Amino acid sequence: MNDEQKIIEQVYKAKINVEQADYLINDYLPFIRAETAKFLKRPPIEGHDDELSIAMIAFHEAIGGYTQTRGTFLKYAAMLIRSRLIDYHRREQRHRHVLSLDMPTGEDDAPLIHSLPDATDHIETVTQEATRAEIEELIRHLKEFGITLSDVADNCPKQQRTLSACRKAFYYAQSHGELLTELLKTKRLPLAALAAGSGVERKTLERHRTYMIALLLIGTNRYEIMRGHIKYVMKGEAVK
Amino acid sequence: MTYIVMECHKGYVILLDENGLFVKAADLHYQVGQTITDPVLMQNKRSSPRIAWRIVAPLAAIAACFLLFFGFGILQHNRNVYTSIYLAINPQVQMDLDRDGTVVGLTGINEDGRTLLDGYDGNGKDKIIVADELIDRAIDMGFLSEGGEISFSIDTPDIVLFQEYGIELRTNVTQHLDGRITVTIAITDCHQTEGENTLSSALSQAISPTPNRTQSPGSSAPIASIPPEGQEYQEDENEDKDEDDDDDENDD
Repeated sequence: MNDEQKIIEQVYKAKINVEQADYLINDYLPFIRAETAKFLKRPPIEGHDDELSIAMIAFHEAIGGYTQTRGTFLKYAAMLIRSRLIDYHRREQRHRHVLSLDMPTGEDDAPLIHSLPDATDHIETVTQEATRAEIEELIRHLKEFGITLSDVADNCPKQQRTLSACRKAFYYAQSHGELLTELLKTKRLPLAALAAGSGVERKTLERHRTYMIALLLIGTNRYEIMRGHIKYVMKGEAVK
Repeated sequence: MTYIVMECHKGYVILLDENGLFVKAADLHYQVGQTITDPVLMQNKRSSPRIAWRIVAPLAAIAACFLLFFGFGILQHNRNVYTSIYLAINPQVQMDLDRDGTVVGLTGINEDGRTLLDGYDGNGKDKIIVADELIDRAIDMGFLSEGGEISFSIDTPDIVLFQEYGIELRTNVTQHLDGRITVTIAITDCHQTEGENTLSSALSQAISPTPNRTQSPGSSAPIASIPPEGQEYQEDENEDKDEDDDDDENDD
């Protein structure tokens, strides 16, 4: 088996497996760095240059969007990385007048953020910790259903119409607590009851089963911060 | 819009937006639980061929249906029997042709005809090739010999086609037998009455297939002079060149 075939095989595995995708990104980190260096005309510094992060997400996009009709994978990935880096730089140019908190100030070149009063820092840290705990709880909870957050992200509705249909089913479940109880008890989405009660096609709910489970779990009383974050969804309003 | 950082992976993070959607974005040094604004979201690659296929598929299905109905109809129309040529030596064979002059069926009318066709498949071949091959088989089987007679009776609704097939058969069969045996070739129109056949027989024409004859076997003159429907053309093939010339002159 030649190298190209091996890469293609890895890419196709990574498309359906999050862990494989992470391994592939890790394996090809030197390639991603090289492509970023070509753009920056200097080696990128990990943890400092946002461009490297942009290149990495572009590589991830390349995994998702690659088909053999697009030619060799690495050429396709390189093209996508370059395009995303150009997009990012154009976007950043619009914010040039905004000062960065990381920019050096004063004689000792300390970042600007260090010179600002940290009145909100403590509250933010506490909130972040609480949010982190809720997220960890949600991840554990989802694991009981055999679902990961990556699965949920991949299963989210892409079209507004489908999103509205999923929300309709969600509101119906919210107003019928027994459905949520059944979900938690059986670890299975009550598709028939949701479809019949909400009027949403069963096929639509089946296609977005993973997303629906995650949304319904957040809708339970355990996740107050996340419920607060999606308050407009909970109230039945959409955010633009 | 604000996003909560839900999970950090190698190369990307998973965020929860205010619409309750989970999205992937570039990891710009985020931490789990952090609330962020303005992330670089991962662009979902929607393959254009899929969209194109959604448009093309119904059109292709409609086109396929049209092709199935009309294409099959046209094919059937062309494959239908349009003309029949009755070849009579002693064996009698019915040769069915489509509009293009291709043989679509062969039937032995009498016992010898069936013997002549035994083991022979002429379907899909041109009428001239089939006529030549059947004549060769007739010679091999002893049905046709020196001084014999070959009769082609053409049954077609189109007089122009009758003339065209008549010329073609006479010319090609004459050339095919040229220098081998001498036979009489008769071409008749099935639509003429018996009385007209008798009359036209009296006006029949004889020519020789030998290379030195004065009248070309391919000449369309005799056929071209046929009045529409009902006239018979008979060509008498003589071995002697001089006699052939004389006959032609007399006929003229």
